[in-house]
Amino acid sequence: MVAIICFVDLSSCGTTFAPPPVTPELVRAGSGQYPNIAMLREGRALFVHRCIECHTLPAFWRYSTEDWPKIVDSMSHRANLKPSERDAVVAYILAVRAQQAF
Amino acid sequence: MSFGGVRHFTFVYEANTSAAGSLELEDWVTWQRGTGSGRFDQVDFRHELEYGVTDSLQASVYLADWLYQSDREHSGFAYSDTAIELIYNLTNPVVDPVGLSVYGELKAGDQLIELESKLIAQKNLGPLILAYNATLESVWEGHDLDEREGEFSQALGVSYEISPRVSVGLELLHEFVFPEWRDEGKIRNFFIGPNISYRRQNWFVTLTALSQATNTEDEADFQLRTIFGIAL
Repeated sequence: MVAIICFVDLSSCGTTFAPPPVTPELVRAGSGQYPNIAMLREGRALFVHRCIECHTLPAFWRYSTEDWPKIVDSMSHRANLKPSERDAVVAYILAVRAQQAF
Repeated sequence: MSFGGVRHFTFVYEANTSAAGSLELEDWVTWQRGTGSGRFDQVDFRHELEYGVTDSLQASVYLADWLYQSDREHSGFAYSDTAIELIYNLTNPVVDPVGLSVYGELKAGDQLIELESKLIAQKNLGPLILAYNATLESVWEGHDLDEREGEFSQALGVSYEISPRVSVGLELLHEFVFPEWRDEGKIRNFFIGPNISYRRQNWFVTLTALSQATNTEDEADFQLRTIFGIAL
């Protein structure tokens, strides 16, 4: 029954599936590693548009900080990402991981 | 060239469009079987090139739609048509409340002209994809294109990603057929069935099996469709 209620009203269960927006807090969470807010915004936009062409978006905690760059790199050609765009996607993912303190 | 994208459904379209510059070849095979008094088997083939014009606009060409048909009176192969298709993405299924796209298709063959428009809605909730299509078709066919038919259909798809490479789900198809644009026959067809999608580095294959839940005599009782896509 709880599952049905959650499915009907996902917000009531505190569940959010959309990747978090880029905020100054997110930039700070990267410990100064990703200070460029424009880069993080580009990374988020690419993450939510290009990655879903093939698969649903994985949870940020599913892969480690070390694994994420390799995973994104392995799919960057398929997603038609230029090197700078690939780096922006990785920067966004790692900043969210840092903010959520995985 | 990069990949155009994976299809999680075969009868339901998804709202997201291919990345700008991506090119993909898709081969479709649809087997239909009718088991009533007009028993028949028909296999439709489609070869489609899909290109990402921009990140929001996708163009496709159906190089050739052809078919093999077998019933009590005759059997054989026939060319059906060639078509162009455009999909424009309006909103994103992850960050917006609903992902929306509009779809237009023009199909022309030896004895066929068809116009099809579609509204595509989609929502991604974690590993779950929900997609809905509302489609309006106008068909002119026959020797002098003097036979007209309209159709409104709704399609609903649910797909769950059980691993990064595999998704499974369900598709429903609800058709309202209007011969000569009239609704005297009240022809309604309802199909339902499971699907599975498997993807690798630069290709995917998706399979759906639909069974007719209504009892329309001349319609297929069973349909099996597979789409194989590969990056070019």
